[in-house]
Amino acid sequence: MKVKAKNKNGITKVKAMAKHDMITYDQAKKKGVKANFITHWEAKVNGKVVYEISTSQFLSKNPIIKFQFKGGNKGDKIEMTWIDKLGNTKTKKTKIK
Amino acid sequence: MKRREFLGLGVAAVSAILAPASLSAIDYRATKPDAWTAHNVKDAIKALYGTTDTIEKGVKITIPKVAANGGAIPVNIKSDIDAVSVALFQDANPESAVAVWTLNENSIINFDLKIKMKASGSMTAVVEGKDGKLYSVTKSLEVALGGCEG
Repeated sequence: MKVKAKNKNGITKVKAMAKHDMITYDQAKKKGVKANFITHWEAKVNGKVVYEISTSQFLSKNPIIKFQFKGGNKGDKIEMTWIDKLGNTKTKKTKIK
Repeated sequence: MKRREFLGLGVAAVSAILAPASLSAIDYRATKPDAWTAHNVKDAIKALYGTTDTIEKGVKITIPKVAANGGAIPVNIKSDIDAVSVALFQDANPESAVAVWTLNENSIINFDLKIKMKASGSMTAVVEGKDGKLYSVTKSLEVALGGCEG
């Protein structure tokens, strides 16, 4: 997963890209594999949740998400986590620039 | 018999304590499984929020008029409403729900996402305000090449 975070005037903008196939039920049937997609994302700064989203199979392949939130100082670490339907999870920590 | 009544009371008490906890739970996939399997937008909104009455104002959704590639359609949702959650639906794929954001006091409603759509259709964004009302917007688009076939 790639994460970029930038603070400007008290607002932090974040861009994240996950590497995931996001296989829908239809695709899974055709290919004979199990449907699997990211179901939940979370971003934390200093242990506090700043962004949270539950998602379905209809995000694009290798989904990109962008969001912004109030606060987040330069140098703070942002921790981004996703979990997929089969329970795989990935976490990435990045400094806010 | 008394023992039974006592046990029954215990169960009632436990469920009363658990009920509010599950309401404030955050993973919408776990708490509202029906919303993710609903086949049209109305059913999905109803499963998620319990009503389909929405006010059509205060929410802005930006999508291309014609999407060349249905596999990655950029979507942007913006709103100034003091809200609890935001949800995105579309009506071209087998199921309707795409994403539900849970908001906190640091949130700004300005979300970007790339989604897949099988065919031309429309997208609906719903914002659940802190006043308990639902605000929505619907916009249609054409998809030149469906993105769900893989």
